[in-house]
Amino acid sequence: MLKRLIPVFLLTAALWGQAATPAAAPATPPPAPVAITDADIKGIEAPKPELRAKGDPDGALTGTVSDVAVVDAKKGLTVGDIANQVGQNKIAINFVWTLIAGFLVMFMQAGFAVVETGLCRAKNANHTMMMNFMVYAVGMLAFWMIGFALQMGGVGAVGNLGGSPVLNSEFTVTLFGKAFGLFGQNGYFLMHNGTYDVTVMVIFLFQMVFMDTALTIVTGSAAERWKFAAFLVSSFILGAFIYPLFANWAWGGGWLANLGANFGLGKGYADFAGSGVVHSVGGLTALALAIIVGPRIGKFDRNGRPHAMPGHDIVLVLTGCFILAFGWFGFNPGSTLGASGSGNLRIGSVAVNTMLAGMGGAFTSMLYMWLRYGKPDSSMSGNGLLAGLVAITAPCGFVNPVGSVIIGLIAGVLVCVSVEFVERVMKIDDPVGAISVHGVNGMFGVIAVGLFADGKSNYGGSWNGVPGSVTGLFYGDASQLVAQLIGVSTLLGVVFTVAFAANVLIDVVVGQRVAAKAELQGLDLPEVGALGYPEFELKS
Amino acid sequence: MTVAIGLLITFLGFLLSLFSLSLTTSVGTRMAMVLAGIALSLIGIVGVVNRAYLKNAIWKR
Repeated sequence: MLKRLIPVFLLTAALWGQAATPAAAPATPPPAPVAITDADIKGIEAPKPELRAKGDPDGALTGTVSDVAVVDAKKGLTVGDIANQVGQNKIAINFVWTLIAGFLVMFMQAGFAVVETGLCRAKNANHTMMMNFMVYAVGMLAFWMIGFALQMGGVGAVGNLGGSPVLNSEFTVTLFGKAFGLFGQNGYFLMHNGTYDVTVMVIFLFQMVFMDTALTIVTGSAAERWKFAAFLVSSFILGAFIYPLFANWAWGGGWLANLGANFGLGKGYADFAGSGVVHSVGGLTALALAIIVGPRIGKFDRNGRPHAMPGHDIVLVLTGCFILAFGWFGFNPGSTLGASGSGNLRIGSVAVNTMLAGMGGAFTSMLYMWLRYGKPDSSMSGNGLLAGLVAITAPCGFVNPVGSVIIGLIAGVLVCVSVEFVERVMKIDDPVGAISVHGVNGMFGVIAVGLFADGKSNYGGSWNGVPGSVTGLFYGDASQLVAQLIGVSTLLGVVFTVAFAANVLIDVVVGQRVAAKAELQGLDLPEVGALGYPEFELKS
Repeated sequence: MTVAIGLLITFLGFLLSLFSLSLTTSVGTRMAMVLAGIALSLIGIVGVVNRAYLKNAIWKR
């Protein structure tokens, strides 16, 4: 029977091969390009008013030559007018893309709020929500006044958004014979040195919501015992100084971005959407805070054994994870800062990589918990999804779908192992797993760029001023991995240290932790004056 | 005092990574130095700073 089928297979294969081979086209030279002149476009007619008066149900009459702005009415429409319109359309597409992506990222604040609140006990619901709510305002205030200028004040022209030259002042020092950019100097209050500018406004909005994401990570690790006044001061300092400094080094034209141009390390530190800049900065500050405030009363017994303190609403937690996953489609694809030009059509790839890694993280964290503890754990599955998303945030623009899935699969296991390590070995109480989800997986994401970047991306022919595509160790460039590791070392050695020192100072001046009585009662009344669930009878 | 030493060790880890940029151009040596720097920072955080706080942890009182 098999022998009879073999010729059929061969015949089918031969026919398939023939069908798949395109017929050779006759070798005719392509027509030479013809320059368009003003005369060519004079004859283009706008739809007649009487036609337009009947409405336009199929859209064929809307958006025509009559919508192109004419500079000189006497001359009429010129090639110059059309070229200007094309340029403005490109920038308009990129403005709208970046703004809408920023709006999605802003909505992630709601996701963080309900995830963290759901993972906390009901007696702290209002306090936890209030922190997540007010971090938006206090972070924005800090960033508008100071942080934005420090981060982006020297970034230079952003071509995708119109190339405005006003963010052009970077403070640098010379080290090892090279210029090390440390912080920007233009853009305080969005008015300083000509920064009242349409492009600057788009960059500000997008970068502001990223910064606020980092800030809201911290509220999770210190939840249920963090003094509200201390939270406000700590968040302001993180939004005004600590976050913007690292973000400048990575994204604002600072020294990490220039490791490629100055020291031949790949394309410099590459962090597409912020595994390091946003998530590790937030996660390591969360670690500093969790060490300083200490664990909640009852989390560890006298022998240091941890006890579970379940959150009050798993429905909120998983709903919040979905909101975050949705917002991540703004976070990662939006980080192209445009949809038109300079390789930005890769937004589809970035979006798919994002969702694939989230899937991988959710899947392996669920499996890990199921195999280890006998049941799939809902909150850890949610954290696995977030871990995958955090880990793919840096590499999403540089890796292929298979790489994304592998990164997500690793992240899902890593978050579970890390949660156990933080709780059992370090004896740190992190009610929401922020240190593991954001800190640890953020650093893993940074390293993943140096391993999995496949060298196929092309954002205008260069990255961080170095020609070529970001390429990781598995695709032939070990030096990119070194650049990424230097980024991780900076996060641990500088960001953690500065965040820790700043929060120790706040502890001395303001006091970070609430009184034991308030903690046992629940922070809703003592700290924010109203219960989250006033009609419920709560167990303490 | 122990916390300050821990923070210093953590920061020294970063300095070790940073100086890899000037001491050599070999990718392998730079990578080894940076990995050593990361390990040093982790020792500072996990082994010194956190341990110092654990000595007076609330659950020990």
